[in-house]
Amino acid sequence: MNRQSLRLRLLLGATAAIFLALAVSWLALTLLFERHIERRVEEDLTRNAQQLVANLTLDTGGKPTVDAAPTDVRFVQPGSGLYWQLSASSASLRSASLWDQGLPVTSTVASDEWQTRVANGPFKQRLILIERMVRPLHAGTTVLVQVAQDRTSISEARNEFARELAQYLLVLWIVLSIAAWLQVHLGLSPLRKLRDELAVLHSNPTARLTSDHPSEVQPLTQAINALADAYQHDLDAARRRAADLAHGLKTPLAALSAQSRRARTDGAVSAADGLDRAIAAARNAVEAELARSRVALIRRARPGAQAPASVVAEQVIGVVERTDFGADRVFEIDIPEELMVPMSPEDLAELMGAVIENAARHSRRRVRVQGRQVEQTRSVCVEDDGPGLDATLVQEALTRGTRLDEHSDGHGLGLAIARELVEATGGTLLIDSGDLGGLRVTARWPK
Amino acid sequence: MRALVVEDDAVVGPDIAQALHDAGFIVDIATSGPDAWYRGDVDDYDVIILDLGLPQLDGLSVLKRWRSNGRAFPVLILSARGDWTEKVEGIEAGADDYLGKPFEMGELIARVRALVRRAAGRASAVIEIGTLTLDTRRMSAAIAGKQLRLSPLEFRFLDYLAHQPDRAVPAGELAEHLYGVADASDSNAIEALVTRLRRKLGVGVIETRRGFGYALAGSA
Repeated sequence: MNRQSLRLRLLLGATAAIFLALAVSWLALTLLFERHIERRVEEDLTRNAQQLVANLTLDTGGKPTVDAAPTDVRFVQPGSGLYWQLSASSASLRSASLWDQGLPVTSTVASDEWQTRVANGPFKQRLILIERMVRPLHAGTTVLVQVAQDRTSISEARNEFARELAQYLLVLWIVLSIAAWLQVHLGLSPLRKLRDELAVLHSNPTARLTSDHPSEVQPLTQAINALADAYQHDLDAARRRAADLAHGLKTPLAALSAQSRRARTDGAVSAADGLDRAIAAARNAVEAELARSRVALIRRARPGAQAPASVVAEQVIGVVERTDFGADRVFEIDIPEELMVPMSPEDLAELMGAVIENAARHSRRRVRVQGRQVEQTRSVCVEDDGPGLDATLVQEALTRGTRLDEHSDGHGLGLAIARELVEATGGTLLIDSGDLGGLRVTARWPK
Repeated sequence: MRALVVEDDAVVGPDIAQALHDAGFIVDIATSGPDAWYRGDVDDYDVIILDLGLPQLDGLSVLKRWRSNGRAFPVLILSARGDWTEKVEGIEAGADDYLGKPFEMGELIARVRALVRRAAGRASAVIEIGTLTLDTRRMSAAIAGKQLRLSPLEFRFLDYLAHQPDRAVPAGELAEHLYGVADASDSNAIEALVTRLRRKLGVGVIETRRGFGYALAGSA
């Protein structure tokens, strides 16, 4: 797929857009998760702080004391990450976990509500800290109550969440990309069908695109069909003109022959010879042009044409039997009556006429015409008991691109026409030696 | 020998007529379908050269009308289109030979002579043997009144057998009669010919007398 590929563009666009959306989601969800944990930690800290406040008294020396300290075991392990501290103006009381360190104290702390901040604490820990000024009952001074927790655990939880979320989103990205690929595939399938139909149109100019396309593609197919129609029309007109021209030349050629004969009887023999040569060349060109226009018409013919091989063979042989070279030949016909060949009866008559006339012309006594259907492959075979044809001549007669009018002898023109006719209907023409000793020409149409 | 040339082209028609005249024929020319039909119907010609592309009434229709009126003269058609469907239609309408345009005048004369020779010298004799009827002038055959289309070779084969009513004719003799000089392999051709004829006539008409040859059913 190159850069122009619609599919590639759609796929790249879809995967990139999905990736971007998932990345933004990942970032936002991770932040939300962190905020959520922080709130839970604040709640825990507040509960501990409230317990401290409830049991807080000042002794006579103004030193804060707590009757029942929070019981969390981390408050007694030094450097555990969970701390509290009560600071009065003269003295302070700390959880055992602080050991000989203290929580950072500021002077501007509100007394009406718990405040949260993040601060650098002891043991090089980054702390989330809540604090409030409290005035114990019956006391004259205020006490700063602080409870703090190491933020490391929050960061760890957040990182772990982010990692797991990333894995999940990666899988989601893959699944969504596959879904996008499927969507593109299904969405572009009408174009694939269009391409197949265009390939058929290319090989058979009479084919047209079907009208069974989505409404977005329909205008395109209509335009292509209109173009093909116009092209076909021009081509037909040109062919008709060529065929008309060839037909129109026949009678003048006959008249020219008459002049040549007159010249010959008047004694202008060499002039008549030259004239006859020119007339013969013109005749060959005319015949070849007519053969070509016939082949072109076959390609134009509707597909699905069928002709009964045995009937057409009988008809054609009925004609050949009346020609001077066919009058004393025996024609053996061995064709199943139900054998149908995929051409119109007119075209099959043309094919069989060319091959059977050729066979009769070169045969000694017998011409055999056989038809077979083996599974879906249908074949018609014509052989004679004549001298046969040299292998190189056969090759020459059948070589693709050999101009029909280059063959002025009987074999060549007939076989070249036959090959064009068979190949125009999707078959193949094979030439070899038959059981009767002469040439065997086999036309075969696979299913 | 009288010949009718049916051709509307002002150059080709007289040219054919001239060539036939030089070959010893007495020639009439018709230039339209109705004219040709009328002349063919009222005059006796030995041969007719018929162009298929005619004004007013096409050649094929003219030929069919002649044949349905029982006119038996040999007809050679000149086909301008030259395709096989047209040739088949022409032969099935009752033509005896065809020639595609453009043609060599020498070939036309040779074909015309061959047609005349085939039909000439035959009295309008009808031979009946069993259910088979042979019309030697029209070179046609019928089985129990049903007309058959035979090739010249097939007709000559039946005609020869019909003229040897008292014996079975060996394949070698038949080959010699049909082909002039014949060799041993030609008996295969005779066998193929009999096979084809039996398909047209029905199986019982030509009998094989083992060791002797062929004979028509109903003969001795």
